[in-house]
Amino acid sequence: MSEVVLESVSKRFGDTLALADVSMVVPDGAFVVLLGPTGAGKTTTLRLIAGLDRPDTGNIVIAGQSVLDYTPAQRDVAMVFQQYSLYPHLTVRENLAFPLKSPLLNTPADEVERKVRAVAETLRIPHKLDNKATELSGGEMQRVSIGRALVRQPQIYLMDEPLSSLDAKLRAELRVELKHIQANLGATMLYVTHDQIEAMTMATHIGVLEEGRLVQFGAPRDVYENPVSTYVATRLGQPRINLLPADLFPGAPSGAETIGLRPEHIVQGEGQPATVLRVEHLGDQTRLHLRFGGHEVVTTTEVHSHHAQGDEISIRPQSALYFDAAGTCMTTGA
Amino acid sequence: MSESPITRMAEATPQPLARKVRGLSDRAIAWIFVAPTIFLLLAVNIFPLIWTINLSFTNFKANRPNREVEYIGLRNYERILTDSDIWLSMQATAHFLFWTIFFQVLIGFTLAWLINKKFKGNDLWTTIIVLPMMLSPAVVGNFWTFLYQPQIGLFNYVVAFFTGADPSSFEMLGSVQLAPWAIVIVDTWMWTPFVMLICLAGLRSIPDYIYEAAEIDRASKWRQFWTITVPMVMPFLMLAVLFRGIENFKMFDLVVQLTGGGPGSTTELASINLKREAFEKWRTGYSSAFAIILFVTVFGLASIYVKALNKVKDR
Ligand SMILES: Nc1ncnc2c1ncn2[C@@H]1O[C@H](COP(=O)(O)OP(=O)(O)O)[C@@H](O)[C@H]1O
Ligand SMILES: [Mg+2]
Repeated sequence: MSEVVLESVSKRFGDTLALADVSMVVPDGAFVVLLGPTGAGKTTTLRLIAGLDRPDTGNIVIAGQSVLDYTPAQRDVAMVFQQYSLYPHLTVRENLAFPLKSPLLNTPADEVERKVRAVAETLRIPHKLDNKATELSGGEMQRVSIGRALVRQPQIYLMDEPLSSLDAKLRAELRVELKHIQANLGATMLYVTHDQIEAMTMATHIGVLEEGRLVQFGAPRDVYENPVSTYVATRLGQPRINLLPADLFPGAPSGAETIGLRPEHIVQGEGQPATVLRVEHLGDQTRLHLRFGGHEVVTTTEVHSHHAQGDEISIRPQSALYFDAAGTCMTTGA
Repeated sequence: MSESPITRMAEATPQPLARKVRGLSDRAIAWIFVAPTIFLLLAVNIFPLIWTINLSFTNFKANRPNREVEYIGLRNYERILTDSDIWLSMQATAHFLFWTIFFQVLIGFTLAWLINKKFKGNDLWTTIIVLPMMLSPAVVGNFWTFLYQPQIGLFNYVVAFFTGADPSSFEMLGSVQLAPWAIVIVDTWMWTPFVMLICLAGLRSIPDYIYEAAEIDRASKWRQFWTITVPMVMPFLMLAVLFRGIENFKMFDLVVQLTGGGPGSTTELASINLKREAFEKWRTGYSSAFAIILFVTVFGLASIYVKALNKVKDR
């Protein structure tokens, strides 16, 4: 019951057009990951949905109702801020209990304590409950901030890079927890991240923002396999997609300016010669940096590869992506 | 030994200078630098304090320096603590302190809260409101005596306008009931801006994003005020109260200018009383003892208060 719809939403800050005519339908219970470099308008999108800012034009509809005139409290959203925004004069416990003490919820005291404790356990901070909010590390503050959203059961969660300052292990654990909680509650989630794995594993939908415009919105696989432009193609994929002049390889369609090669688009052992510049053993994958026709190409190979610097191998593109001079994708279907 | 650039550089570097100057150690040089300050401190602060303590046990009178001085033990202290005049002046001081702080905090905080709203020209308003604080207490005292004039005073006129009473039917400075309030009003008029400024600094120190988080957490404006604004401004507010408290405990100039302690001794604050004892009645020993009692009182209250302040800050 909490579908979120943005209808031609624009927002301007002085000379900056933070959001330009963004339309998006977030289905009830969806997990939407917003991608885009700094300044693309991700935070602005969340703030508009939360009701902290008002769009200049356009409409925001939650659960079938225009919420433009609703306060954040009336919209019943929980938000994890990019800069944590804890209450500095309160303890961790008081910070976590704060949303529960809203008269709108009217939670009994023992219930508050139980919920706070449960959330603290989930986020691995039960031993910090009596610390002041300022006596925490960055990662702990971030977890308190997530906790403040999780103690409630709102219709919509808005999370702005919530796991960005956690170590890899904790991040992996909390990724699973968050996805689990969201799926269990059936809540709608809008989630900002720069993390490739978070985006691909958690999202039901990915929205890619470029300078305030929503350039693509779709399922993660779809965005990955059929990016609309070179810009979107470079947002997803580890290692990043290789963008090379299209005429390096035979068989480019006419009008193609750029060929986009993800590692899985590169067949090794046949085709044109390339030189191994560097081999990176990452443990679960091994990357090859190749010199090919004056360009550097990064691809992956089998984990126990015996390639060494200076080796000659040959490569051939396979179902690669082609882009025209404007960077728009010409290929449809992988 | 090789003449590498590094060894050459090391040799060219002078020995630590300080250790060599006239054979003095670092420590001695440090002492030479702080000595003038320490000397001044001793001469201007510590010595008078000790001398006052010493005098407080005597019957010394400064207008009769040649009379033989007798040590009379704690007699001065005994007499002060049983002197009803002194207690009256302490009461007047307490009344003055309590009500000035009460009104200044109430009005100062409210003004700061209003000024902190983002509206056009709030900087101009701040400047205007702060003006009284920039005047000299003597000037303020002087022109308020005019404002309080029953016949021509603006204050009486305004009160009369709103209450319908006859402006010359009451004398703010001449009436035993009204005079203690008259000095409270003037001090409040003059120093509320100070409390406001400090509260404003406190309010400005609360980042917007905290209120945004509270909005998201569905706290009403009322709850935001009591759970965020008040606790976060509290350390600032308490600091303002400390400053005003210490200032008003030793209040002298403004009140002397306004009432001179009268009528009767209704506005004779402790410091005015002290000045009378010391430099009109010339009871030097006695007034020294009184000064010491005041000093200990302020010092004690202030220390307790600063402890409380720190607790609030660390909360
Ligand atoms: N309060 C603001 N005042 C002025 N400019 C802003 C404000 N908030 C955001 N912007 C601008 O809007 C653009 C988008 O910002 P934001 O949504 O925070 O980007 P992101 O979260 O994707 O990094 C940026 O160019 C930023 O400078
Ligand atoms: Mg951002």
